[in-house]
Amino acid sequence: MGRIKQKGKAGAAKAYITRSSAVKKLQCSLADFRRLCILKGIFPREPKNRKKANKGSSAPTSFYYTKDIAYLAHEPVLKKLREHKAFAKKLSRALGRGEWSSAKSLEENKPVYRLDHIIKERYPTFIDALRDIDDALCMAFLFASLPSGQRLPPELIENCARLSAEWQLYIMHSQSLRKAFLSIKGVYYQAEVMDQTITWLVPYQFTQSIPSDVDVRVMLTFLELYQTLLGFVFFKLYTDVGLVYPPPLDVKKLEAAAGVGAFSLQEASSTSTNPVSKRKTVEVDGRKISGKDVRQTIKSITASLEDAEIDTPQNDRPSPLEMTHEEDFVPHPSANSAGADTSLPTLKMLETLPVPISTSLFAPYTFFLSRETSRSIFEFLIRSFGGKVGWPASSGNGSPVEEEDLSITHVVIDRPIASLRNETAEEKERRSRRKYIQPQWIVDCINSGKILLEDPYTQGETLPPHLSPFGEYEGAYNPIAGPIGSHVEPEREGSEEEDAEEEEETMMEEEGPETKGHHLKQVLEDATLDPSALRTAELAAEAAGMDYDAFEKELSKLGKKRTKKEQVHGGEAEEDMNKMMMSNKKRKLYEKMKHSQKKKESERSVLEAKKRAILARGEQETKKTSG
Amino acid sequence: MAVDSDRRSSRKRKQTEEDHETQPESKPVQLEMLTDEEDANEISSDDGEADEFPEIDANSDSEADDGGNSSEDEEEDVADEDEDNEDTEETEDDSDDLDSDSSLHVFPKAKTVISDITGHPKRVYPDIEPDYDSDSSTEDTPNRVGDIPMHWYDDLPHIGYDINGRKVLRPARGDELDKFLATVEDPDSWISAFDKNLQTDKPLTDEELDIIKRLYQNENPDANYDPYEPMVEWFTGKGKEEVMPLSAAPEPKRRWIPSKWEKQKVMKIVRAIRQGKILPNKPKSTKKIDFYAIWSDQPSTLQQPPPPAPKPRLPTNSESYNPPEEYLPTEEERKEWEDKDPEDRERDYLPQKYSSLRLVPAYDNFIKQRFNRQLDLYLAPRIQRVKLNIDPNSLIPKLPSPNTLKPFPNYKSLTFTHTTGRARCVSVSPDGFWVASGDEGGVISLWEVNVGREVKRWTFNGKVSAIDWCPRTDATYFVVGVGEDLHFLVPPNLPEPTFSLTKSLLAPPTLPPAPTVPSPVKWESASSASWSVDTPILSVHLPPSSGSPSQITWHRRGDYVASVSTGGAQNGVWMHQISRRHSQAPFKKVKGLVQAVLFHPTKPHFFVATQQYIRLYNLAEQQLLKTLSPGIRWISSMDVHPSGDHLIVGGYDRKLCWFDLELSDKPYKSLRYHTRAIRSVHFHPTYPLFASSSDDGSIQIFHARVYNDLLTDPLIVPLKILRGHKVSEGLGVLQIRWCNKQPWLLSGGADGNVAVWYS
Repeated sequence: MGRIKQKGKAGAAKAYITRSSAVKKLQCSLADFRRLCILKGIFPREPKNRKKANKGSSAPTSFYYTKDIAYLAHEPVLKKLREHKAFAKKLSRALGRGEWSSAKSLEENKPVYRLDHIIKERYPTFIDALRDIDDALCMAFLFASLPSGQRLPPELIENCARLSAEWQLYIMHSQSLRKAFLSIKGVYYQAEVMDQTITWLVPYQFTQSIPSDVDVRVMLTFLELYQTLLGFVFFKLYTDVGLVYPPPLDVKKLEAAAGVGAFSLQEASSTSTNPVSKRKTVEVDGRKISGKDVRQTIKSITASLEDAEIDTPQNDRPSPLEMTHEEDFVPHPSANSAGADTSLPTLKMLETLPVPISTSLFAPYTFFLSRETSRSIFEFLIRSFGGKVGWPASSGNGSPVEEEDLSITHVVIDRPIASLRNETAEEKERRSRRKYIQPQWIVDCINSGKILLEDPYTQGETLPPHLSPFGEYEGAYNPIAGPIGSHVEPEREGSEEEDAEEEEETMMEEEGPETKGHHLKQVLEDATLDPSALRTAELAAEAAGMDYDAFEKELSKLGKKRTKKEQVHGGEAEEDMNKMMMSNKKRKLYEKMKHSQKKKESERSVLEAKKRAILARGEQETKKTSG
Repeated sequence: MAVDSDRRSSRKRKQTEEDHETQPESKPVQLEMLTDEEDANEISSDDGEADEFPEIDANSDSEADDGGNSSEDEEEDVADEDEDNEDTEETEDDSDDLDSDSSLHVFPKAKTVISDITGHPKRVYPDIEPDYDSDSSTEDTPNRVGDIPMHWYDDLPHIGYDINGRKVLRPARGDELDKFLATVEDPDSWISAFDKNLQTDKPLTDEELDIIKRLYQNENPDANYDPYEPMVEWFTGKGKEEVMPLSAAPEPKRRWIPSKWEKQKVMKIVRAIRQGKILPNKPKSTKKIDFYAIWSDQPSTLQQPPPPAPKPRLPTNSESYNPPEEYLPTEEERKEWEDKDPEDRERDYLPQKYSSLRLVPAYDNFIKQRFNRQLDLYLAPRIQRVKLNIDPNSLIPKLPSPNTLKPFPNYKSLTFTHTTGRARCVSVSPDGFWVASGDEGGVISLWEVNVGREVKRWTFNGKVSAIDWCPRTDATYFVVGVGEDLHFLVPPNLPEPTFSLTKSLLAPPTLPPAPTVPSPVKWESASSASWSVDTPILSVHLPPSSGSPSQITWHRRGDYVASVSTGGAQNGVWMHQISRRHSQAPFKKVKGLVQAVLFHPTKPHFFVATQQYIRLYNLAEQQLLKTLSPGIRWISSMDVHPSGDHLIVGGYDRKLCWFDLELSDKPYKSLRYHTRAIRSVHFHPTYPLFASSSDDGSIQIFHARVYNDLLTDPLIVPLKILRGHKVSEGLGVLQIRWCNKQPWLLSGGADGNVAVWYS
């Protein structure tokens, strides 16, 4: 006889742990547990059998893996959280007693936890981290646009703004933006960094207020993790392309609302020119001197040497990086900073190699954003695709192109045409040389990968619909495909029309004063069914005054229709019957699939019907206007 | 006040200077205390003379506390004072006056008399007469019981005893009205309180009122308490220091030698500072994390990273700020969307169209949706789902087309109509040319399969519940279950040899010997003289109240016929042997209601279907072989394949089960395709076909091929659904039977029609 098995000692009862018992085991508060779960990325699991996992109780609880919780028990952050609890007690005690100096020293030695080990743990490789930064970017961009307040300290907002600017700078520098989509929620961007598709959503520039039913603590905990994650990811991205991270920030420009332009991308090689960045790199080196760092420094030194030698021939190739240097950092392009882009080490070369042609889509053009267009969106979009962009002083400082500049080819304008009375000749001339387009043109160009005709997008035009570049599911309604049911084969369409005609005919016949026609039809149908009824049908046709040819024709038509119907019907019926022999599991699966298919189909048909109605209405209106 | 008392004490000291020239150091303290108490007495007595008695009590108490010589001194003091008072002028304080008064009264002169008993002198005090002698009229408490719970006297007429031991009677207590009147009339009533000791309301004294007032104002209840008394330095200041050491022990070394351990501690810190471990004026711990190349070293393979979170769905065309017009919701769609709970909505937004980007407002649910995403990330359990990307039609099993499996009944060729009721039962003759069908009106019709011409009609009283042809080919007759009887009918116009054999079988000229065990079933054959074709040649009367036989089934040899009666008091399975004219019940007791029985086509086995189980008995060995559990809640009918290895069972819960008897007790296949209860199932005797009929009015034809080798599963192919019977009163097709030689099917419906389905 084997050993007696005790209940609840093995299997699901052991593998799963409820949330409350997890909290009890970790000896922390629920809020701390939540924070830990967020930071460590631990989420509840659904046991196969809830009853078995919960010792026979079916109460609604969430379950975690016991092993996950066991790992949590050894988490340094948990220790720090406990220390923080003690610290909070001490601090409140000191404050309550009015011991300000001890409170101050306590505050100074406040326990702070670090998250880098968690980042390393959650994302063992860089690609893992890069794959998961979608949410982090969304949050950073969202918080960068929030107003600071009681719960959102200004440093946090500042840091988020910095992170989002750094990301944009990197994307512009590496020209890895692929798609953009103006939605009602905000602007979706999609970039391809190291073969990872990264999509993020940026809200339109309005002041958002946090609704009351949103738990800010949860968001801030996430943000804490995301800031660290983004920092490390950006560090890797920047250093991989040989840039200094963090990019130096010009406070004066930032205060003048220069936006992204306040940061300057700096080559790791050009450290010798800038004392600030030198200090930075020293710091970086001093922190962790790994073999890689040493290699990189050697590389950078050689790069700077090469740089000095070959900077002149490379000046003719304009690059966005160069422009940023021109604009933001060095007013007069110096020998060291210009054209560094092309002399990057091999890794950078590799990265620039597979860039498709579309990334320099706007390279030959210079844009000017009029004051009502959002600069943050379009500056990013245009510069990511190699274009040059300027803006009026009202949208911020640091525009590289003035409004009067003759190189401007496109003006992005988003207001209706106003009559311009007092226009000077010069202005008129300028006006004729530039193209005035609505902002959607830029996004549509990016998504289609080519420069579209400007005509439908000119100022004051009704814009063509803006479609999602991300596509929809297979077989979804396609708004750009032909107006009605172009997915149907023309042959069948014809037969359908025929059917419709026939239907109409019968309708008309029925509408006639005597029901004789209808009767005849019936008789004819009977005739197709039964050869014996042919004779009576003939007679009836004769009585109805139908000549023989017409009769024959009608008969054959009806017969054809009938056989077709039967075939279709028979095939379906056969399948229906075969369904009987399906097992229960397969039948359920089948029904589920059919249901979803039907749903998609109905969605599509609804959209198609709407489209048809819209077209019909449009035609009527044109008729009315013309007639 | 303290100053005052100081002054007064000094005055007193002067008075007593002659007597106590050398007083100990502690004297002034006691004096002070004394005078203090006196002060209190004075002030309280200023208010009136009411508190005389207790105050003097207190005074004496404190004196007693002081104890020893000092108290005596004080007494002397007081006495001196008194004397002085008496001597000196009238400008003395009132208090002193009162003091002297009280001392006079409290300590009455004691006379010293010689005791009669002992002969020693003794002090005799005069009697205390509180009523007349004392002027503290308000204070006199006649009740002398002391501080005891007064409810001890609740049941007694008195409330205690006075000083002379006389009972103090309980004062009259007025009723509520009196109390009210007292509140109105008596001006003092609002400042009076209930005195427990006297059991009456007593007005509060001014002091008591004062205390209450002070308590109300959160002040110290003692009016004389001064919280801001000046501090008196007793031991500090010049001339008051203690110069002599308390102990003679030599001063320890540690008092003047620097501490070694302290030095060690300090040095530790100094060393740490020198080494840079401790930074003086360390900059505040900065929040900024310094980033480094965290992914520079190889990832550890110890722990598998958690699976990445699923990415949110990418936006579709409808989310565009300027979508094609057909994406915009109609009014109904908008309303439906708004009426739904946010959790039930398919999309979390309504498509909207703006003519230009400048007009797009802020999306008000932005933060909420971000938050929901985060909740999903850390609160939602993640399940990996395998998404099947297959054509759903590939799930349908591939079966041979019905067209290749012909012949099978395909269309209705003719209908025979019973006018008197539902066509309950149908049976086809073994040669396949004749049909006997019975209805609930008691009519049995014999007609030809090919043309539907009725040849003969019998009419009985009561429902015809079952019909079955005898499977013998040399004799031709059939059994009909009507009421509680079984009738054996012979069709007309039989050829002579058949007829004579049939007659000799059913009505033999010499009856077989009666069985030894009497049976409750009566066999009755018509006499050969009176018998005609119109009447049954033989009748078997089942025991009364056994119910009508719902099923009759023949053994293949045609000698035994089994009938199942349902609806009676005792439902019974009877087995009738024609040759011996004997009936017996094979089962003494059957668990459950028997629904159907069947003879095995080749073996001496017998199937009995109760509501949920099918039992297979070996009749020769009289034992149970198998119990099949089809999982049907109520079995309606069953049939066995001609090979005897397969069984189909139909149930009222729409299920049809196919059993492979060699294989298992559980069904090989369980099908559910009828929408209503299955009424009848039947295997074709020669063709690989079977059919089932249901209350939904349809008949389903299957192709059922059974293979001889045990490895190949039987092939079941649905062939055709025959519709043509009308459903009346919830009943559809009640019985189906195959023609023996042809792939033709006969079906009797609740609409009274018996249809013949041809291939």
